[in-house]
Amino acid sequence: MVIELLTKRYPGMRAWLMQRLTALIMAFYSVMLLGRILVLQPATYEEFLGFFQPAWFRIASWLFWICLSIHAWLGIRDVFKDYVPNMYVRSLLLKILVLLLWVYMAWASWLFLM
Amino acid sequence: MQNNELQNSQKAKVKNRPKNLNLFTIRLPINALVSILHRATGCALFLVLPIILLLLQLSLSTSEHFETVVSILHSPLIKLFMLGLAWAFFHHFFAGVRHLAMDVHWMTSLMKARCTSKIVMVLGVLATLVLAVKLW
Repeated sequence: MVIELLTKRYPGMRAWLMQRLTALIMAFYSVMLLGRILVLQPATYEEFLGFFQPAWFRIASWLFWICLSIHAWLGIRDVFKDYVPNMYVRSLLLKILVLLLWVYMAWASWLFLM
Repeated sequence: MQNNELQNSQKAKVKNRPKNLNLFTIRLPINALVSILHRATGCALFLVLPIILLLLQLSLSTSEHFETVVSILHSPLIKLFMLGLAWAFFHHFFAGVRHLAMDVHWMTSLMKARCTSKIVMVLGVLATLVLAVKLW
């Protein structure tokens, strides 16, 4: 029954689940990041580079950004659906939103993985 | 004839409906306040994404740029802005956790929901205050 709800016939259920799933992953990452900052307390440039160096941290940050993009897309899309009744304006705004999120994703990938 | 009268009275009803677009006369219950703030803080966090990426890129590039970013973040006005941003994050975080809890049917009765709303508001401000003490 639950699996049935997650097929293409119910896109709203998928959006709902993705929003929660990405939220959960981001929540864990946020707690980890805050803890890491509190423990390591990077103050100088070298310390900050060291803070950013480990591969696992970069990959975690990159995965976080993927979740952030999906989460922001779903959230801002809901806001547009609620407050922008004009279909042309809404679809234009959605296109701008998607474009922005892809640009941020490329930027973040370059920062985290290069 | 009767039909016509009915239509007229319906039109009059539509005309006489009270309009209340003055937002200051609407008092939000605490649950609604947490909810709209969850949305507003989410939008705010989305809007600052490029600033965060820019600061991150600058602070990673060279040690001079790193120092520049540090000095920018130390100016009082920016600190205040960052504190507002921190509150936005904490509120969105705690309100989000509350949503997730409700999704698995925790704290869904009205009284419990009101209670968790208050907890979310307090935790958001408290976490921001702790950060403020740390920053100054």
